[in-house]
Amino acid sequence: MALNRKIAYIDLTTGDIQVKPIPIEIRKRFIGGRGLDAYLLYNHTEKGVDPLSPDNVLLISAGLLAATCASATTRTHVMAKSPLTGLLGSTNMGGFFAPELAWAGFHHLVIRGKAEKPCYLFIHDGEIEIRDAKNIWGRSTTETQWAIREELNDPEVKSLVIGPAGETLVRFANVMTGIKDSGGRTGMGCIMGSKNLKAVAARGTTDISIAYPEEALEFNKRFIDQIASSKVNQTQGTLGTPFIWGATNSWGGVRARNFQYNQCEYADDIEPERIDEIATETMGPHHMAGCFGCQVHCRARYKLPSGPYAGKYDEGPEYTALGAFGAMPDCRNAETVLTCNYLVNQYGMDVLETGAMISWAMELFELGILTSEQTDGLELRFGNDEALIEMISRICSRKGWLGDTLADGGIPASEKIGKNSFDYLVQVKGMNNLHSDERGTPALALNVATASRGSDHLRSRPAIDLYHLPEQVLRKIYSNPVPYDGPLSSDHTVYEGKPWQVFWQENCYMAVDCLGICKYHTVFLGPTHPNFEDWAKVIHYNTGLEFTPKDIWDAAVRGNTIERLFNLREGLTRNDLQKGDMLNHRYFDEPCLRGAPDVVGRKIDKDKFIQMIDELYEHKGLDKDGVPKPETLKKQGLEGEPSHRL
Amino acid sequence: MANEEISTAEALRKTRTYGKIRCHNPSCMGRLTPEAGQAHVKCPECGMEFRVHWIRPDFPRIRGPVWEVNRKIAEEALKKKEKDQ
Amino acid sequence: MQKNNKILKIDYEKCTGCRLCELVCAVKHDRVSNPIRSRIRVIKWESEGIYVPVSCQQCEDAPCVLGCPAKALSRNDDLGRVEIDYNKCIGCRTCVSVCPFGAMHFVDADRKVIKCDLCDGDPQCVRFCDVEAVSFVETKDLGLEKGREAARRLQAAGKKAGTLLEA
Repeated sequence: MALNRKIAYIDLTTGDIQVKPIPIEIRKRFIGGRGLDAYLLYNHTEKGVDPLSPDNVLLISAGLLAATCASATTRTHVMAKSPLTGLLGSTNMGGFFAPELAWAGFHHLVIRGKAEKPCYLFIHDGEIEIRDAKNIWGRSTTETQWAIREELNDPEVKSLVIGPAGETLVRFANVMTGIKDSGGRTGMGCIMGSKNLKAVAARGTTDISIAYPEEALEFNKRFIDQIASSKVNQTQGTLGTPFIWGATNSWGGVRARNFQYNQCEYADDIEPERIDEIATETMGPHHMAGCFGCQVHCRARYKLPSGPYAGKYDEGPEYTALGAFGAMPDCRNAETVLTCNYLVNQYGMDVLETGAMISWAMELFELGILTSEQTDGLELRFGNDEALIEMISRICSRKGWLGDTLADGGIPASEKIGKNSFDYLVQVKGMNNLHSDERGTPALALNVATASRGSDHLRSRPAIDLYHLPEQVLRKIYSNPVPYDGPLSSDHTVYEGKPWQVFWQENCYMAVDCLGICKYHTVFLGPTHPNFEDWAKVIHYNTGLEFTPKDIWDAAVRGNTIERLFNLREGLTRNDLQKGDMLNHRYFDEPCLRGAPDVVGRKIDKDKFIQMIDELYEHKGLDKDGVPKPETLKKQGLEGEPSHRL
Repeated sequence: MANEEISTAEALRKTRTYGKIRCHNPSCMGRLTPEAGQAHVKCPECGMEFRVHWIRPDFPRIRGPVWEVNRKIAEEALKKKEKDQ
Repeated sequence: MQKNNKILKIDYEKCTGCRLCELVCAVKHDRVSNPIRSRIRVIKWESEGIYVPVSCQQCEDAPCVLGCPAKALSRNDDLGRVEIDYNKCIGCRTCVSVCPFGAMHFVDADRKVIKCDLCDGDPQCVRFCDVEAVSFVETKDLGLEKGREAARRLQAAGKKAGTLLEA
C-alpha cells in the first residue's frame, strides 16, 4: 500500500497535470525527498539539456517523514540541472512548506516546460491549479507570499517563491518560503524564473495517518530529549547557527578578504553575541523561532537596528551571512551584515554565492584585474561596506557590466573578466565555497572537493572532526550501521581515516535529506544526536514501513550514486578544476597566516589529498576516474538506470 | 517503550560535559574552567586567551580570541615554522 | 467544588512558532497528523514575527456552555475543564461562533466540534513545548512568574536610580 502522498507531473507549456502514487518498492530504494528527486532528475532529463530550457525539470519534494509525528520534518528539497554549475542542482530548506505540501496530498512535484506568461501553482487537498501571476510578478519574496494569501483569501497558505533575482535569471537566485527559509544553493530560483513560475503555493487539510500513534508520540519525545539535552542544541537555540563563529574564527577557520586570511580579526561587532543583543533589543528576550515541529529554534527574529532599512523585520542571520557579508568582504559591521542579509532575502539570492562573488570581485579590483571602468566607478575594495551593498542590488537587477557579469556565476564571470581571475575564485564544480577555510582540516577539504553539488559544507562535512573526540567514540559513531575497522583519528590535521568519515557523513546527510528532517537533528554539529538506528524506528512508528538501519544506509548510498551518475553524464571529470573533484590551487599553495599556533602555516598536501580522494572513491565503489564500477551499480541495483519506473 | 534498549546516540550521552569548555587551539584542546561570570580566560596549556560569553550563569562559551595576544602567538608560531622548514 | 485547578497557561512571548503543539495534539486525540484537528492553534503574523498559541481557556462562565441549545457543553470540576457530550451535541456550531477566543473548532471530515480537553490531565502540548510557552499551572499561580519578573525589573530600576542619585 502506497502512502497517501502522491507525485504530480506538471507541464507548464501544455498545462497538463498527471498524478500518480509512489510505489512502496521505489520508496524502499530511494526513500523520498532528495534521494527520490535524484532518481527522477536522472530519469526525466536528457544528457546535455540546457538548464534554462523548458526541457529541464524542476523537482520539488517533501521528505518521507514530512508532517508525521517525528521531529523537525520541515525540509523541502528542490532539484534540477543547475544553471550555475551545469551539474546537479540541489537545495534543501526549512520552514513550513513541506508539511503543508504533504497535507495537501503530495510529496513530489515534477515540473517541466515553460509557461507562456508568469504563473504560480496552487496545490490544495489533491488539486493542482495553474494560476496567473500577473499580480505578484516583480514583487519581493515576502510581498509575493502575502499577496498570494490575500488573493487566495487564506492566511494559512504556505508558498515557495522566487524574488526579483529569480525573474532576472541570476544564476544563483534562490527559492524561499517565510521570511528567510531559503533553498539557496545551485540557483534553483533561476530555474523557476526560466519557467515563468513565480511561486508554488500549498494549503493542505487532509489527514496523514500515523501507523502507531502512541509509539510515534513517545519516540518523538525521546528523540527530542536526546537532542534538546545536548550542549550544542542549547547554544544553538540561544545564538542560532552563528554560534559556530565562536570556535571557527578563534582557531582560524574563517576565510577573510576572499581567501587572503583565515581569520576575521577585530570582528566583535558581527560576533553572534552581538547579533543576539540586537535581537534582544528589538524583539525581546524570547526572540528565537523554529521551523515546523522543531525544538532547536535556531533562527532569531529581529528588526534592523540602523541603516537604510532600519526598523524592517527579518530573521536569521545564519552563520553563512556573517562570512558572506562580514569576513569575506571584510565589512565587520553588524549593520552591514544585517542590511545585506535583508536585501538578499527580499531579492531572493543565495547569501553565500552573493557574498563570495562580490568578495572575489573585491580581490580582483584590488589586484587591478577588474578596472574602475568595469565597476562603473565603484571603488569595490575590501571593507567598503557601501560598495558591497550597492553591488548586491546591481547583481539582482543585472545593472552595469559587472552586475550583469557576476549574476552569471563564477566560471562564466571569470571567462568574461579574463586574465587570471579564475585563480582567485574559491569554487568547486562552479559553485563558491562557504566562508570556511579548510586548509587546516584535510577531512573538511575532502568534503568540499567531492560534494555532489559543488563546493559545499552540507553534503558530507565531518564537522565533529574538530571536536577531537576520543577514538572509541568516533568508532561507535562511524562503524554503524555498517562495520568499519580501518583507521580513524581524533587528530584533525591527519589524512588517515578521513575518507571514511566523509563517506559516512555523505550517507548520513543523504538519509536525512530523504527523510525530510533537519541536519541539526543528526550527527552534524552534535556527535550524540540521533542517526540511522533511530530513524528506522521513526519510519516504522510513523509510516508502518520496515527499514533496517542498513536499509536506510543502502538507500542513501544509492541516492549518492545516482547523483554521481547524473554529474558524470553532464560532464564531471575527476581532476577538472571547473567540473571535477578538485580544489582551487590556493588550498595547496598559500599557507594560513592567522589563527591558532596549530593552524598557522598549514596548507593542504596535494599528494596526500589525492590519495584521500582515491580512498573515498574506493569506499564509494568508484574507479580511479570516479566512475561507478559495474559491480557497484549491480550491487546497488542501478545497472538499468535510467529505468523510467516513475 | 521505556524498556527498549538505548541507541548508540543515547549511549554516548554520558560522554557529554556541561559547563566546561576547551581551548580553541585545535591541537591543544586544553580544559578551561572560567570562574562564574569571568569575561576572559587564558589557556594554561598553550597561552591563548579568549573572551568568554555566558549562555546561562552555569554555561560558558568562548566568544572569541583576545586579539592582540593571540595574534602575537600566531606570528611567533608562523615565524618558527618558516624557520624550521 | 472545583477539584482540579490546573489550566493551560499560554505565554505567547516564549512561543517559537514551531507548531509542535498542534502536531502532537492531533496525533494524541485523532491518531493522525493534521493541524486542523488540533485543539491548540498557533496564530501567526509572520511579517512581524508574532506567534500566539490559542486554546480553550476553560472559562468559568463559558459562553459555549451558556450558548449551547442542546446543553451538550458542561463544566467538569474533576478535570477542571469544559467538555462536550457528543451524545447530546447536535452539531449546530453555536459554541464555535460564541467562543471569544476562536478556540472551538468544527472538523469538516468528522462533522463534529472539537475543543481542548487538557488530555485528561496530561496535556501533550505542554509536555512537548521545550520553551514552556504552554504550561500547566495552578490557577492561583498564574500571575506568579510575571509578578516575579516585574518585581525583579522594579528592583533593578530602583538600584540603578539609587546609584544615579548617589553619583
